[in-house]
Amino acid sequence: MPETSRQRTEPVGAAPGATVAEAGGDDQVADRVYAVRDGLALLLAEAEQARRRRAEAAGADGAVCAWNHFENIPTFYNWNNRPR
Amino acid sequence: MSRAETRQDPAGGGRPAPTGMRGVATVPSYVVMQPTTLCNLDCSYCYLPLRAANRRMPVPVAAAVARPVNIWAAQQGRRFSVVWHGGEPLAAGRDHLAALISPFSADVEHHVQTNATLIDDPWCEFFREHRIRVSVSVDGPRARNDSRHTRGGRPAYDQIRSGVEALRRHGIEFSALCVVSDPSPGLATELYRFFLDLGCDVLGINIEETEGVNVRSNRWPDRAVAGFWAELVGAWRQAPRIHLREVEWSLRYAAAVLDDTADEVLPRQLDPIPTIGYDGSVVLLSPELAGFSDPRYGDFTSGNVLASGLAEILATPERTPWVTEFVAGVEACRTTCPYFGFCGGGHAANRYFEHGRFDGTETNHCRNSKIHLLEGVLAHARDQPAAD
Repeated sequence: MPETSRQRTEPVGAAPGATVAEAGGDDQVADRVYAVRDGLALLLAEAEQARRRRAEAAGADGAVCAWNHFENIPTFYNWNNRPR
Repeated sequence: MSRAETRQDPAGGGRPAPTGMRGVATVPSYVVMQPTTLCNLDCSYCYLPLRAANRRMPVPVAAAVARPVNIWAAQQGRRFSVVWHGGEPLAAGRDHLAALISPFSADVEHHVQTNATLIDDPWCEFFREHRIRVSVSVDGPRARNDSRHTRGGRPAYDQIRSGVEALRRHGIEFSALCVVSDPSPGLATELYRFFLDLGCDVLGINIEETEGVNVRSNRWPDRAVAGFWAELVGAWRQAPRIHLREVEWSLRYAAAVLDDTADEVLPRQLDPIPTIGYDGSVVLLSPELAGFSDPRYGDFTSGNVLASGLAEILATPERTPWVTEFVAGVEACRTTCPYFGFCGGGHAANRYFEHGRFDGTETNHCRNSKIHLLEGVLAHARDQPAAD
């Protein structure tokens, strides 16, 4: 069976060499989200526009997404990500 | 309310732990069914131990599953899916698959996760007739599909493309799942362009996982993986015609953080995702565990639908010791991992196949597909704030 020791993970936005735990709690993940909010705002606007275009192009049985609940994508494509 | 106020813990500590994914739900949103163990391919990274054997699911197994599923699907406001997985589900044949589908009501959505190699005109007509949604497993252009081959070692790519062409000829929309075995620079762009050309509507990207009978390492440099995801965001922005699962979910979480609604992103409970093996045995949470056994955990099953009802099995998940250990592992993730609000806890199969138990926390899969996904999206937002 594979070994169980925790390996180092270095968040991209954190100090070089930092582990996830050393990078701080989820406050610091949220802080990094806030730190790039200008870039995210553009991304989010583009994503919303793209979703509208996909929804407009799709038929009733299309495999296209809806934003909040992703009602039109396969339900097994949810965040549990199983199966593959 | 300001962000600072929202994030204050009444006890004076940091942000309160996310509240989602607490315990296992007793009603799933989908079930995974194994119509046959057989697969006509023998992919290098496949985790399935019985894929060379043709053990077909008897119709009474499907009928036993259909009884509670038809009730769940009829409940107002619910959407319920049966995912015919495998093996290769089309290897069961149309007549047998139709017989397995027949006990399910019209409210139930049916999906197949297929390698596409068997899809032809009659299969497309079958999909139409039974309103089956199709998801294709393909790893990109020909050179990226080296892991996908027949038992004799013949590359499967031409057969996969032939199947996809049949879908397109019949106007059948489809999704795609892609396994990435080496997240190297340039690959994300190459893959996204491929899938644009392929014509899928929805795409999920899975970094290869070490699990089941696949023991290849999935440990990649952190920055390489984050760079892969960042590059994928950039490729997607150029032509966001595809619903790209990982990008959509990352942006959903980031938007919720900015809106101070991040705690609403995760489902309230874990979906039990019951996998019904060909023989009616039920494995919860991770289909990859089906067919395996361990001296400590047994065969990972929680019962058999021919002996007790699926609803009864799902009502008492804690009767399966490893599930209880897994739930403890999720709670450990909640209290130790800063990414829990985004991820919801490492998957059972990854914990087991990487750690040998279920109550460990961070896995390579966590790093590859959750942590560095979010970090890659944030890095892209930081470095490339505007589309060309």
